[in-house]
Amino acid sequence: MSDVTLLLHAVERGEEQSAEDLLPVIYEELRRLAAARMAHEAAGHTLQPTALVHEAWLRLVNEEDRTWRNRAYFFASAAEAMRRILVEHARRKARFKHGGGQQRLNVEDLNLAQSTPDEKVLLIHDALEQLELEHPERARIVVLKYFSGLTNREVAETLGLGERTVDRHWVCAKVWLLRKIEEQS
Amino acid sequence: MTVAAIQQTEEIFCSALEVSDAAERQVFLNEACAGDAVARAAVEQWLSAHAKAEQFFQESGPAVAPAMAALQAFARERDIGVGLGTEAALEDAEGQQIGPYKVLQKIGEGGCGVVYMAEQEKPVRRWVALKIIKLGMDTRNVVARFKAEQQALALMEHPNIAHVLDAGATATGRPYFVMELVRGIKLTDYCDQNKLGVRARLELFNQVCHAVQHAHQKGIIHRDLKPSNILVTLHDGVAVPKVIDFGIAKASEEPLTDNTLFTAFDQFVGTPAYMSPEQAEMSGLDVDTRSDIYSLGVLLYELLTGRTPFDQQQLMRSGLTAMRRTLRETEPRPPSTMLTALRHEQPAGGTNKNPGETRKYISMVRGDLDWIVMKALEKDRRRRYESANGLAEDVQRYLNNEPVQARPPSPFYRFQKLVRRNQITFAAIAAVTVALVLGLGTSTWLFFREREARMEQVRLRQAAENRQKLTQAMVMLTHNQFEQADQLIHGVPATEVGLEYAYIYRTLSGWHAVHRRWQQAIERFAVVLQMGMVDDGDHTMDYLRYGPILVGAGDMAGYERFRRAAIARYGRTMNPVFAERVVKISLLTPTDREVVRALRPLAELATQSLAQSGPDVDVGLAAWRAFSLALMKFREEDDVEAVALCERSLGYFFSNASLNASDKLVLAMAHFRLGQSDLARSELGQSRREIENNRASNPDGYWYWFDWMFAEVLLGEASAMIEK
Repeated sequence: MSDVTLLLHAVERGEEQSAEDLLPVIYEELRRLAAARMAHEAAGHTLQPTALVHEAWLRLVNEEDRTWRNRAYFFASAAEAMRRILVEHARRKARFKHGGGQQRLNVEDLNLAQSTPDEKVLLIHDALEQLELEHPERARIVVLKYFSGLTNREVAETLGLGERTVDRHWVCAKVWLLRKIEEQS
Repeated sequence: MTVAAIQQTEEIFCSALEVSDAAERQVFLNEACAGDAVARAAVEQWLSAHAKAEQFFQESGPAVAPAMAALQAFARERDIGVGLGTEAALEDAEGQQIGPYKVLQKIGEGGCGVVYMAEQEKPVRRWVALKIIKLGMDTRNVVARFKAEQQALALMEHPNIAHVLDAGATATGRPYFVMELVRGIKLTDYCDQNKLGVRARLELFNQVCHAVQHAHQKGIIHRDLKPSNILVTLHDGVAVPKVIDFGIAKASEEPLTDNTLFTAFDQFVGTPAYMSPEQAEMSGLDVDTRSDIYSLGVLLYELLTGRTPFDQQQLMRSGLTAMRRTLRETEPRPPSTMLTALRHEQPAGGTNKNPGETRKYISMVRGDLDWIVMKALEKDRRRRYESANGLAEDVQRYLNNEPVQARPPSPFYRFQKLVRRNQITFAAIAAVTVALVLGLGTSTWLFFREREARMEQVRLRQAAENRQKLTQAMVMLTHNQFEQADQLIHGVPATEVGLEYAYIYRTLSGWHAVHRRWQQAIERFAVVLQMGMVDDGDHTMDYLRYGPILVGAGDMAGYERFRRAAIARYGRTMNPVFAERVVKISLLTPTDREVVRALRPLAELATQSLAQSGPDVDVGLAAWRAFSLALMKFREEDDVEAVALCERSLGYFFSNASLNASDKLVLAMAHFRLGQSDLARSELGQSRREIENNRASNPDGYWYWFDWMFAEVLLGEASAMIEK
């Protein structure tokens, strides 16, 4: 039985496990999946976080364990894992671009209009951190949507919200985040 | 904005988004905001940010590919056993048993799945094609949706349609589809390899149309018609095109929402070059059979010219919004034009797959065939062929040299399209016309308009920049970054500063004052004062700040003016707190009888209030009040009363060090004048120590820096008097 299943069973029994506990396992799995996929992909193919996360879900968790509740935990963790992977990667790239040795990318240095997708990830990540302080619920929705690529309905089911609510939060969050990003660049 | 106000803005904003018609939206906003200009402005801001935000988030989706490549490199570096082939291949199903199918060999790989040849044992023995979809969103759903269509699919019986036989899920939970095994090659490749001419290509194309028609009549839309889904096999030496993957695209499709253009598959559902405009829009508009017709149009285009109307790579590269716009608005070149262009590009023509560059070929395409293709490719689906058969019939008419239905659009229709495409240009022309009518030189007129617009832009930009700076400065101040904040707001003109930013200027003014940078302190405070002229609130606190700065700076004339102004403004106040403050601040330096006399009523008010204070008095207020009155008595040269009041002030259980220091200073001076020099000197020493202690522990000043500054001014006076 995989670590993940054990953790999820604990969740079922009512023991509150944070998404953090699942994180290392999922993180590893995602990276393995990603690397393996890359080995088979033709150059220039676009990989999607969605796909990887779902694949990980299928691989890590047995059919009978795939309840909605477990799914919620899993996807939340996976989204966070995905976020870290992307941010990590983007930072590494940015260090090269802006002169090595910098510990943290200076958001002020980025020109919004000319940013690469990697830089965008960083900008979003920074703004997201601030959103987490102000509207934690909304930030959770953003993470699920952006890094896991879940549909509104899936997010709604995952978080136990109405679909319309999710939609509203997502739309408003995007505006909020963009404005935050613009403020800082 | 307050939390409630933000909430309200969001609600209005979200509701406004649901109103798609611009005029109606304005009406809605008028009602919803009902005269609240601030709210309206906020909502409008959000609305304009909305489009930009949508675009920003969509286009930042696919950052993963390079990320994953780097990840792989990283893993390699760290020697993590993450396979480069050492990992069991995800897709390698060869040799496996999947349901009743035994997988034999991989025969192809596409964007959305891998296709294997497999052997079916039961209920009948045959070879089939097994397509494993790369990633299932939710296998149950995918399979379920397929099963829903399966009935309809089973009813399809057409020589040009490859049957989809079955669907299921692999052991690892991936959906798979089983299809009739078609051994053939892509339609376009077939035509090129066999160097087919126009006629032959059209004949094959018509068969495809009939197949699609058959499916449409059964209520099945393909949604993903493209050359790789049309294979040509040979039956008894006769070429038979077969359309594959019917029903798969739909079953595997996710409800397309903002983020799922890239769904579980690695590429679009549908391939952008073959996607109809309405599919690309993903507006939730029902994709119907006419979408397939569009794809057929693209197919025909490609059969004739070797290219798709829009270049696939370019579409993908340009990003989602640009892609949609292109598909929605840009008119592609008619096939003959494309051929002519290609011919000029590559005169040698050996290396690339142009089906035909000969003049004869091109002249065959030009005219009727052009119009057939263009009709199928109409952006407005109502103008396309209504059915696949309609398209096939027109092609047949062409082959029979009969007049075709497709016609070049009327001149008016073309003009309309021209206008739509070039709306900006037409507006400009209108502008010029107006200018000429008014007798202005066009260039001058445009110049002025432009200049105004530019200036407005500059103004707006600067205003936004200023706001940004101010907000940033606020944040900096909360982190005690005085230096940075000060530098940041340096150039911001006072008029641009809204009331909410007063805090910045007060704080920085105090910071400068504490460091004895009087000029800067005054400058900063000037901004605060300017705001003060605007609103009618309580300024007495600001007086407490400003007074010491002026005195500290040595601007005695300024201080004189200041206290006269304060008295003028608050001379008749009934508020004892204000009264006390004005008294206090106006007596920072020795003054003349006139000022004292003007202050008497205020002092009276404060005295009364002090006398009335019972046991539950606010000790802080009382202590300060007592001090202010002590100061008043001292200035009136009633030293005995001054001493009494100072002692009373010190008597309150209120440990405010700056107040204590000030009390002791007035005490010292009063005692000195009463002849008790030793006592005076001792009290002076105590105050001095307290003041110095404070300086040492709060070098940048603290909340009530002005109270300390007040004490320091008194210290100056006291030491001059006592230690001269």
